[in-house]
Amino acid sequence: MHTTIPRQLQSILGDEGMIADKNRRIPYECDGLAFEREIPDLVLLPASTEELQACLRILHAAGIPVVARGAGTGLTGGATPVKGGVVIGLARMRKILEIDPTNQFARVEAGLVNVDITHACDDHGLFYAPDPSSQTACTIGGNVANNAGGPHCFKYGNTSRHILGLKIVLSDGEILELSEPELDPSGYDLLGLFIGSEGMFGIATEVTLRLTPRAEVTETLLAVFPDLDQACDTVTDIIAEHWEPSALEIMDQLTIQAVEASVFSAGYPPDAKAVLLIEVEGSRPECEANVAGIEAIAKRHGIMEWRRAANDKERKKLWAGRKGAYGAMGRIAPDLYVSDVVVPRTKLRQLVRQTTDICERYDLKITNVFHAGDGNLHPNISYDRRDADQMRRVLAAADEIMRVCIDAGGTLSGEHGIGLEKRDQMHMYFEPEDMEAMLGVRDAWDPSGIMNPGKMIPVRACNEHRPLRFKR
Amino acid sequence: MNAQDIVDYTKSLDCVHCGLCLRTCPTYRDTGRESASPRGRIHMMRSVAEGAAEVDQHLIEELDGCLVCRNCESVCPSGVEYNELIAHTRSALADSPHRSLLSRESMRFGLRSVLTSRSMIDLFALMLRLGQRFGMLSLAGTLGKGAENLPDVPPAAERQRLAPVHPAQGKLEGEVAILEGCVMPVFFSHVNRATVEVLQAAGRQVHVPKGATCCGALQAHNGELETARQLAKQMIVSMEGPRDQTGDLLPVVVNSAGCAAQMKEYGSLLAEDPEFAERAEQFAARVKDFSEYLADEAGTRVAEALATDPPQIQSPLTFDDPCHLCHGQGVRSQPRELLDSVHVQRVEIDESESCCGSAGLFATLRPADSQRILDPRLGALRASGARTLVTANPGCQLQWQAGVKRDGLDVEVLHIAEVLQRSLKS
Ligand SMILES: Cc1cc2nc3c(=O)[nH]c(=O)nc-3n(C[C@H](O)[C@H](O)[C@H](O)COP(=O)(O)OP(=O)(O)OC[C@H]3O[C@@H](n4cnc5c(N)ncnc54)[C@H](O)[C@@H]3O)c2cc1C
Ligand code: SF4
Ligand code: SF4
Repeated sequence: MHTTIPRQLQSILGDEGMIADKNRRIPYECDGLAFEREIPDLVLLPASTEELQACLRILHAAGIPVVARGAGTGLTGGATPVKGGVVIGLARMRKILEIDPTNQFARVEAGLVNVDITHACDDHGLFYAPDPSSQTACTIGGNVANNAGGPHCFKYGNTSRHILGLKIVLSDGEILELSEPELDPSGYDLLGLFIGSEGMFGIATEVTLRLTPRAEVTETLLAVFPDLDQACDTVTDIIAEHWEPSALEIMDQLTIQAVEASVFSAGYPPDAKAVLLIEVEGSRPECEANVAGIEAIAKRHGIMEWRRAANDKERKKLWAGRKGAYGAMGRIAPDLYVSDVVVPRTKLRQLVRQTTDICERYDLKITNVFHAGDGNLHPNISYDRRDADQMRRVLAAADEIMRVCIDAGGTLSGEHGIGLEKRDQMHMYFEPEDMEAMLGVRDAWDPSGIMNPGKMIPVRACNEHRPLRFKR
Repeated sequence: MNAQDIVDYTKSLDCVHCGLCLRTCPTYRDTGRESASPRGRIHMMRSVAEGAAEVDQHLIEELDGCLVCRNCESVCPSGVEYNELIAHTRSALADSPHRSLLSRESMRFGLRSVLTSRSMIDLFALMLRLGQRFGMLSLAGTLGKGAENLPDVPPAAERQRLAPVHPAQGKLEGEVAILEGCVMPVFFSHVNRATVEVLQAAGRQVHVPKGATCCGALQAHNGELETARQLAKQMIVSMEGPRDQTGDLLPVVVNSAGCAAQMKEYGSLLAEDPEFAERAEQFAARVKDFSEYLADEAGTRVAEALATDPPQIQSPLTFDDPCHLCHGQGVRSQPRELLDSVHVQRVEIDESESCCGSAGLFATLRPADSQRILDPRLGALRASGARTLVTANPGCQLQWQAGVKRDGLDVEVLHIAEVLQRSLKS
């Protein structure tokens, strides 16, 4: 990087807005996927869209790669820096700009943490529906870029269903103003294209999002199983019999034990082989009908225990355990690889079995905690990145897991995106022409290719067609 | 010094890098810098241990900027022992050449010499009071600069020490020892008196052992682990003095959350000490925060001792959890239970578990940073509508008092012992 560039950037951002020394750049070398690491040349922390725009103009002119970062909770290396590039963090842009309870939308800066929106509109009886388990940390911008899901997205849909507008700064600094809330955009649906673009199309700085009225009644239930298969089959039957819970989450025994040892201990029985966390919402009669129907199915599958949270406090406790589950795995090994695959919901039992077998074959510790209602599996592998052989086995197992899920009619990713982690598996699911078409869309948004280069589309596959400007 | 000595490497591996601690960290919220977040600080420490980073002033600055409020521990699902990680590294880096010599020396002088001896504290208090009265602090160089941020020292008459024994009122239900503290008698002798009176009213005979001065929390958090261990031993010995009629050791009741949190951790602090390891464990088990002890052991007796006509407390009141009470000791419900037995309406303040910026020496050493941490909390206080803010830690009380005064709010800041004292039947 030319020496004048940091100086120019600094004059825009001031001392608070830029990190140049190496030690303070180190925490930015990875996101939640800790084995992919690269220390960025600079970290920029703009405080406004205008500052960000001015920085991008300079970086664009100099051809310096840019990686956007929200909270760095991504699990696929989406926010991993690119060699010779800078990281632009949105953490200082976290204002709530507007809440319109009548029209049920809010306009916020992209660095706002997901859960802060729900806190802010609680008094109006509204909430922001997509609730990733990382919602107390991840940002709205990161959610948009990864089209994040969460337990309640089973009922309410992923992030894309809840975004009404965006303000985006493109790679050359141009501002794309799409922030007026629109239900049915005229012309091409640019929002739809941008959501899920993993930082490769531009950087979102403002997000207009849909707020959802709270249900009249919410019931949280816990079904305790002596056997993981039975928990899976219960979910399959709930779906097949058309019951409509708002969330269905399965945790296996190792997960239960890790959670129970943590500050989020939720009272899950440690001798259970699996628990199914269920939420139903709606009017009182709707809830009761759902609860009765689901309870009957669960009983058919031989539950050890059926619990119903008596009040808000108990509900929160049951959920806190689920949301803290990933972190709790830190008790098992220093690193956690969270796989994210989707399978047909008729085949839950079979694929949970298969993924477990794969990990056992590679002599790896696997835990299962997943959005069962969506068929979105998260086989989690606990490992230690300092052990090279173990690292190799983790990657091989992850590869096989994706393979069996796709073969069974599933997909590569449920909600965490592709990033670096699954980039080289894209060919399992897409033809080279598909990926070429995707690159074409990318080129339309960012002809310079400086935005998060090297992510999502495999380098080799595209080299056959046209070299990417930046290779990792 | 080699890298592995600077960092407790094994403890640093407990962090799985999930990021769930970011939002609750006040310094991350203030700056937006990951290097000023729990995950970032742990990441840098681990990098030092692995040889991927070398200590420099930037790294030290980020570690010094930590409030050690321990909010990150309360939300960490992986059970990272952040408090011990940071204490270890700060201690190893206390003499780092990347700090200025003057800051090293004045810090060491304060922590090793002044706070550890009663007579030095009294002398310092006298000098400070004179300096404050005659406006001479700005003439005294760096040390004076730090001291300018200290609160006003009350006149000698109000700095009275407690008598060694105070009898129970009414039927005797038990005996306790209390910690008088190092700076408490200087700035907060009224809180100490309130503590004793409330305990007496709850039927407790109160002992005030005189052999120990300071719990060592400030030392442990600011890179003086060895001094902290010495102080811990003195404390243990002194608190092994008084016994009840059956010869049993007494519960140690502490009205400063920061001190109680430290004293409860003597077990791990002295784990390697052959003579003290076991005594420290046993001592730690006897330590109780003031509200923890009263609510758990004497809840009904306290309620009976309180007047039913509204006492002289502005309504509504709110309780702001001191970090070292909620995060450090996991004590959350007991102060609220006690306050609910006082006949005044209680409201909750938003983010009550978030640090007020007092944080031990932080407010004194880094007044501007501390002010920025307090600002959003003052906003929350305003929004709560509370007219009495109740805390359970002297540092927090000073910090809130200063903030309330600066913003011109009509809010009285009281220690929970003072609230109970004012509510006692006369
Ligand atoms: C404990 C834990 C639980 C999780 N649970 C879930 C879950 O239930 N559901 C789920 O979907 N995910 C989950 N995740 C993954 C992760 O939290 C989500 O992917 C989240 O959306 C990432 O947000 P972030 O702010 O951390 O983004 P980052 O990790 O910082 O970035 C993610 C991607 O978004 C891009 N990006 C960030 N900000 C912007 C912006 N303003 N404009 C453009 N691009 C941007 C980055 O370049 C990167 O490609 C979990 C992660 C953890 C650690
Ligand atoms: S919550 Fe705990 S495990 Fe997660 S990043 Fe923070 S310290 Fe590490
Ligand atoms: S102790 Fe407090 S200031 Fe320090 S890292 Fe933890 S949350 Fe942040």
